Amino acid sequence: MPSSTSSSDQAPKGIVQREGALPAGLRRTASDRPGEAQPVPTRDIPKQPWGRIIIGVAAALVSAAVALEVNARERIGLHAGDLDNSEIAWSDEKLRAAGAPAAIVGDSRILFDTDLDRFEQLTGVRPIQLAIHGTSALTLLETMADDPDFKGVLIVGLADTMFFQPFDGYGGYVKKWHEYRAPYRIVSNQIDHALQRRIAFLDSNYRLSVLAHRLDRDFRPGVEGPMDDIWKLQEVGEHRATHLWDRVEYDPAWRARTRWAWKGFKEKFPFTPQLIAKGQARAKAAVDKIRARGGDVVFVRPPSDPHLRVNEEAQVPKAKGWDVLLRNTKSVGIHIDDLPAAQGLPLPEWSHLSRKCATVFTDIYVRRLTELTPRFKLRGDAPPPLSRADCVPAA
Amino acid sequence: MIFNSLTFLLFFGAVLALHNAPWFGWHQKKINLLLASYLFYAAWNPPFVILLWVSTVVDWWAAQWMVRAKRERTRKIWMITSVVVNIGMLGYFKYGGFLLDNFVALASSAGIAYHPPKWDIILPVGISFYTFATLSYTLDVYLRRAKPAQHFLDYALFVTFFPHLVAGPIMRPTELVPQFASTRRATPHQLYFGLSLMILGLFQKVVLADGFLSPVVEKVYDAHEGVPMALDAWVATLAFSGQIFCDFAGYSTTAIGVAMCLGFAMPDNFRFPYAAVGFSDFWRRWHITLSSWLRDYLYIPLGGNRHGPARTYTALMGTMLLGGLWHGAAWTFVVWGGLHGTYLAVERWLRGRFAGWKPGPLAFLALGLLTYVLVNITWVFFRAKTFGGAATMLQSMAGLADKPIPMIALLPMVYAMLIISAIVGTHWWMRDKTLEIAVERTPSWLVGSLLAVMAVMILSEQGKGSAFIYFQF
Repeated sequence: MPSSTSSSDQAPKGIVQREGALPAGLRRTASDRPGEAQPVPTRDIPKQPWGRIIIGVAAALVSAAVALEVNARERIGLHAGDLDNSEIAWSDEKLRAAGAPAAIVGDSRILFDTDLDRFEQLTGVRPIQLAIHGTSALTLLETMADDPDFKGVLIVGLADTMFFQPFDGYGGYVKKWHEYRAPYRIVSNQIDHALQRRIAFLDSNYRLSVLAHRLDRDFRPGVEGPMDDIWKLQEVGEHRATHLWDRVEYDPAWRARTRWAWKGFKEKFPFTPQLIAKGQARAKAAVDKIRARGGDVVFVRPPSDPHLRVNEEAQVPKAKGWDVLLRNTKSVGIHIDDLPAAQGLPLPEWSHLSRKCATVFTDIYVRRLTELTPRFKLRGDAPPPLSRADCVPAA
Repeated sequence: MIFNSLTFLLFFGAVLALHNAPWFGWHQKKINLLLASYLFYAAWNPPFVILLWVSTVVDWWAAQWMVRAKRERTRKIWMITSVVVNIGMLGYFKYGGFLLDNFVALASSAGIAYHPPKWDIILPVGISFYTFATLSYTLDVYLRRAKPAQHFLDYALFVTFFPHLVAGPIMRPTELVPQFASTRRATPHQLYFGLSLMILGLFQKVVLADGFLSPVVEKVYDAHEGVPMALDAWVATLAFSGQIFCDFAGYSTTAIGVAMCLGFAMPDNFRFPYAAVGFSDFWRRWHITLSSWLRDYLYIPLGGNRHGPARTYTALMGTMLLGGLWHGAAWTFVVWGGLHGTYLAVERWLRGRFAGWKPGPLAFLALGLLTYVLVNITWVFFRAKTFGGAATMLQSMAGLADKPIPMIALLPMVYAMLIISAIVGTHWWMRDKTLEIAVERTPSWLVGSLLAVMAVMILSEQGKGSAFIYFQF
């Protein structure tokens, strides 16, 4: 007889009654009924004081949340308001860049070293922040070149080695950023951010598995363990306004650890003339594309400490990288070497400016920008210039 | 949306509230569930809801006309219509690119340079799951195992019901449609146990699969340089066996918990598979709703074991090869299915050859371990993206790699092995039990403590993780 798909079901029977001749305590599944219509499943409810158990679990959750939050704030130095810098957050900004007067792309240096508030105070323009740490600015430049809706000025911040490296880096996802725009991801990102504005421990670096893996002190010879990666370096605010995590500034041990993790920027692969020439050609094609539709591109080279600079220069000399880039693309460029007022700004972990000094650097390079391109104008009511003294405590 | 997302938390809270609201009648509550299920699916890609509608409407009418048909031939035509439409959609979205690539390769080997435009079709999430669910409806009606649903709303809800929609368990109409006939509302104990199952499922997924096992697997399987040492290759493969189980069984357990909170029962999809002794036993424990689907609608119609050994082995291998292809449009999945088919065929032959032999306890355990090791060999093809990658892994696992290097740090390796040992140990301990029996026999303080630890670990893992692996199928 065919089973009906329209009859009502019986209530679960509990765990005493069992179907068929199976070992005690085992219920039948579809695998035990070949070639039959499968009946309505029976789900048992084990006899337990479930109400009390759930209350206990809820209490444990609340207690753990409080403990995690206190530990995150007091011992780790995390702050509420540090938002996830996710693919969704980037794609949100990418959408905002359509029709925007200016956007920034590049690696972590321009990302950390630009104070968007200061930029706006000086020019009246708040650029869209699209730089991504550990990512080739060239990849991002090409992504923006492929966006017909972007017709503003693209500020390309670069670290020479990262710009010419033969791979995209962390931000490779930008090539398929549309795939991250599933509605549930967008909503989840909004909820995440709403919670992170109030709760400090919701930092992806503070996940249990991440912390547990980092207990490995390179115990196994020949393996780069989790400790070789930088645990946390940045804090991200609204619209991806990013700065160096303050613990890197005030904690000498943390600073030393981060410096060590850079390994002097001694890359493993060779920056051959062919590799650099290929990068130059890609950059020119992308810049031409943006200019063809009325946009423009300027390049910025933020500072790096001599400890790193010497290796960066050895791999991609300024004369072969930066100078040729500006010449080929016929672009305006602001190199840290050309900004006397920005010399000697402290770089706590050798690669990025402290939060306060990022504001000073922004002040200096944006003023220079307004001199080099008519696309940005210094506001009449712009605040007075900043100098090194505004971010370095007097000795 | 995925279960391990904050969006789902809000969504589920709203659904639960609406489902328990006293001012809605049962009919309205079913409409609420249907709309919520469409919303759940649209949260990935709204236009793909149309596919669900097509599948729902075609199969509803195919079944209706099948029942009204007076001639067997007409019934068959409607059954074939349903199969063609469903498999056609699945084929277009899932296998279009694969078929095209293979055609291009074939043409190229014949000296024909064929350069078609790139096949740029997005795979609708869960299409393999709901296609099989709706097909079972028309096939059951055609095979006269079930009568068609009486109400379109009940049938549409069966297809779309969000707990099973995108990654199973693959439900049969006879399992779910009757549950929509009368009011369903969870008792407090059902609600609490359902929530407990959700905690268990999310713990498996978020903490074990994504937090601790996935990084170990990726370190080796996604390595850009170097060949892993035998130890690394084995640990990564064993870790993947844990990851795929925790990911998929975690999803199924969460789905069962979600349905239970709403007052519905869903079938078991896993029965402690790493305690299987032999491969027929494995497939009675792993992805039960798929293996039984393949058995009922593919293996048996292909002849099953009723037409002599040759036909049986052919049906077995055909079923497993197609089962492999169901998992993904790549030849590595076909090989995965082929290996399982071979294992099943060899086991069948051995059972015939050594009929009557009963293994002692040690032999039983050894056969169980052998089964687990051989299953792990198949996981290499499941996880590796290419045959080259799979060959490298197998070579490393055999200790034959040239200049192998260590890849996994010590502590992540230790964590992974502890988790795998715990999973395999638990499966053997639970081999002939249900979870419910084990829970009932455990002191309540221990049940509460374990649940609290799992919930706190989910919280400290921040409840987030990547999408479920099986969504891609």
